[in-house]
Amino acid sequence: MSAIAKALPNLRPEEMEDPKEHLMHDPLPRGEMNRMVLESMHTTTWKYWTVVTILAFLVVTCLGYAWYYLIMQGLGVSGDNRPVYWGVFLVNFVYWIGISHSGTLTSAILRVLKIESRRPFTRVAELMTAFAIVNAGLSIFMHMGRVWLAYWLIPYPNERGIWPDFHSPLMWDFMAITTYLICSSLYLYLPLIPDLAMVRDRSKGWVKTFYKIFAIGFRGTEGEWKNLHLAMNIFAFAIIPVAFSVHTIVAWDFAMATRPGWSSSVLGPYFVAGALLSGVAAVPIVLFFVRSTMKNMKYFLRPEHFDTVGKMLLIISMGWAYFYFNDYIVPWYAGDKWEKILTLFIEAGPQAWLWYLMLFCNIVVPWSVLWRKKWRQTPWLMAIVGILINVGMYTERYIIVPEMSTINRMPFTWHIYIPRVEVILTIGTFALFLLLYFAASRILPLIPNWEVQEGQEGHILRKIGKAKIPTISQID
Amino acid sequence: MSDSNTLLAVFEDIEPAADGIGKLHELGVADENMDVISGIPIRPAILERPSAVTRVGWIALAGAILGLLLAVFFVWGIPYLFPLDAGGQPIYPVPQLLIIMFEMTMLGLMGFAFLGMLVDSGIPSYTPKEYVPEISDGRIAVLFSCPKEEQRKFVDALTKLGAKSVEPAEARQL
Repeated sequence: MSAIAKALPNLRPEEMEDPKEHLMHDPLPRGEMNRMVLESMHTTTWKYWTVVTILAFLVVTCLGYAWYYLIMQGLGVSGDNRPVYWGVFLVNFVYWIGISHSGTLTSAILRVLKIESRRPFTRVAELMTAFAIVNAGLSIFMHMGRVWLAYWLIPYPNERGIWPDFHSPLMWDFMAITTYLICSSLYLYLPLIPDLAMVRDRSKGWVKTFYKIFAIGFRGTEGEWKNLHLAMNIFAFAIIPVAFSVHTIVAWDFAMATRPGWSSSVLGPYFVAGALLSGVAAVPIVLFFVRSTMKNMKYFLRPEHFDTVGKMLLIISMGWAYFYFNDYIVPWYAGDKWEKILTLFIEAGPQAWLWYLMLFCNIVVPWSVLWRKKWRQTPWLMAIVGILINVGMYTERYIIVPEMSTINRMPFTWHIYIPRVEVILTIGTFALFLLLYFAASRILPLIPNWEVQEGQEGHILRKIGKAKIPTISQID
Repeated sequence: MSDSNTLLAVFEDIEPAADGIGKLHELGVADENMDVISGIPIRPAILERPSAVTRVGWIALAGAILGLLLAVFFVWGIPYLFPLDAGGQPIYPVPQLLIIMFEMTMLGLMGFAFLGMLVDSGIPSYTPKEYVPEISDGRIAVLFSCPKEEQRKFVDALTKLGAKSVEPAEARQL
């Protein structure tokens, strides 16, 4: 790069780039790439086991024991009380559903648009979806209190003689989340099959048996590839409206109620924008940690991938800000008495710092950092931006759920919500998410190797005039 | 081809594999007596092969219709069997019911797309099959049938075009 730059100082920065900086133009022999992925799965250090042990301990205590305590004592040990019946459990639910949009939706959109730089990191993101939905479901079960009655939501002829009420937004939620969970898991599994077959071919003993079962006899015949590709395309197109519907319906859980702050026709798209923002912001965090802690990942996950995510984040952050302003200005201008009180409470009440924190993390941080390519390509900085945006989005959900429930049309009930056992359980859900991710990183190939190799096969440097220009041809 | 042998020719890359397939065509091997196994998907035209027929789309469509019908039963049948008068709302409020119908249609579509992929590909299957593990390292295998007495001719022709090995296909446990 430097040699070219010295010779031609007036080149644009992208023209000075060495094409080898891009994964698609820096292929290695396929066997070598397979070996690198396997090595990343098989290498575990004492640090890995220390972190896993700590996480397992947190899951057992903060999730297992605290939930047991909640069940035995009842929801009275949580901070939920009149008028705030929806507290941190619902905040967590909305937050985890948002995170779940990181993988499947991001991957589907990038796949549909044929964004080539998606190839190495789609699975890293898709895994988050599966684990985040697990946490979202757990949060709802915690909120239910009598969790052993959860099966009442399932529509089947039962001895109670009643069926779920399909008029209820909560039932829509159940249907949407179930659909999203099943479809996301299948969408995660489909492109995983060829990689599992690759691991199967290189394993021995019981490990081989494990991968053999999940590789389901895949060999890579023409028919298998054709079917796999078509199925993946159907999923990629179909899962986008499903993902949108999931978070829209989560928004409707709130918006269908005639409460100040909640009853808004723009809440659906606003929630979708928020889900995308927190979900996509989670991607660089995970990419950073996978890249820094797992062997050989620096080859696969490069600054260009952080750049792609950074651009998406900047656009989504602007979209979120637009929807937020829309949701803010209409009730403010309308001047409804209760809306005015609520707005004042959020912006100048005892928890106003949350509102400023939200605006800082969701608008100031991304807008001031992500406009610059060099910063977008700095993994640690992108991880910090991702963390801050997630702090901002968690805060946003906290404002929407318990804070907005505080102010209703009956002032004698107003009461500030303080979470209690929920804090411990929240730590537990985060620990569970990380523990599942750590476990998966050693069981599943985090890099969709065949997709990377397919992309590399199609990318060539074509000589046009005096320059070699990166070009892509579709081999499939 | 009643008295025929099945051979597995392994090539290092796409180019020799395409040449090899062209040669097999020349030698009279029909496309239906041939299959290509590769570690990445390759557009059929690159290898001068016909596009594989897939029924995944139709199966997915059938799943979507099934999902829709099930949803119709849930949202129209159940209130009919167990009318629930909630807050003066209609028993059959169309806008709400569209949501359930949408979700179940999509679930049917994607669930059956997945099942269709499995059924049409004949997987899961754990029986021995013709395969070499080197395929996922980038090799391309061409599986074909040829007359027994002409096997030598086929082996020589493909080896000349760069095949790393041309051997009788052996079904092995994956």
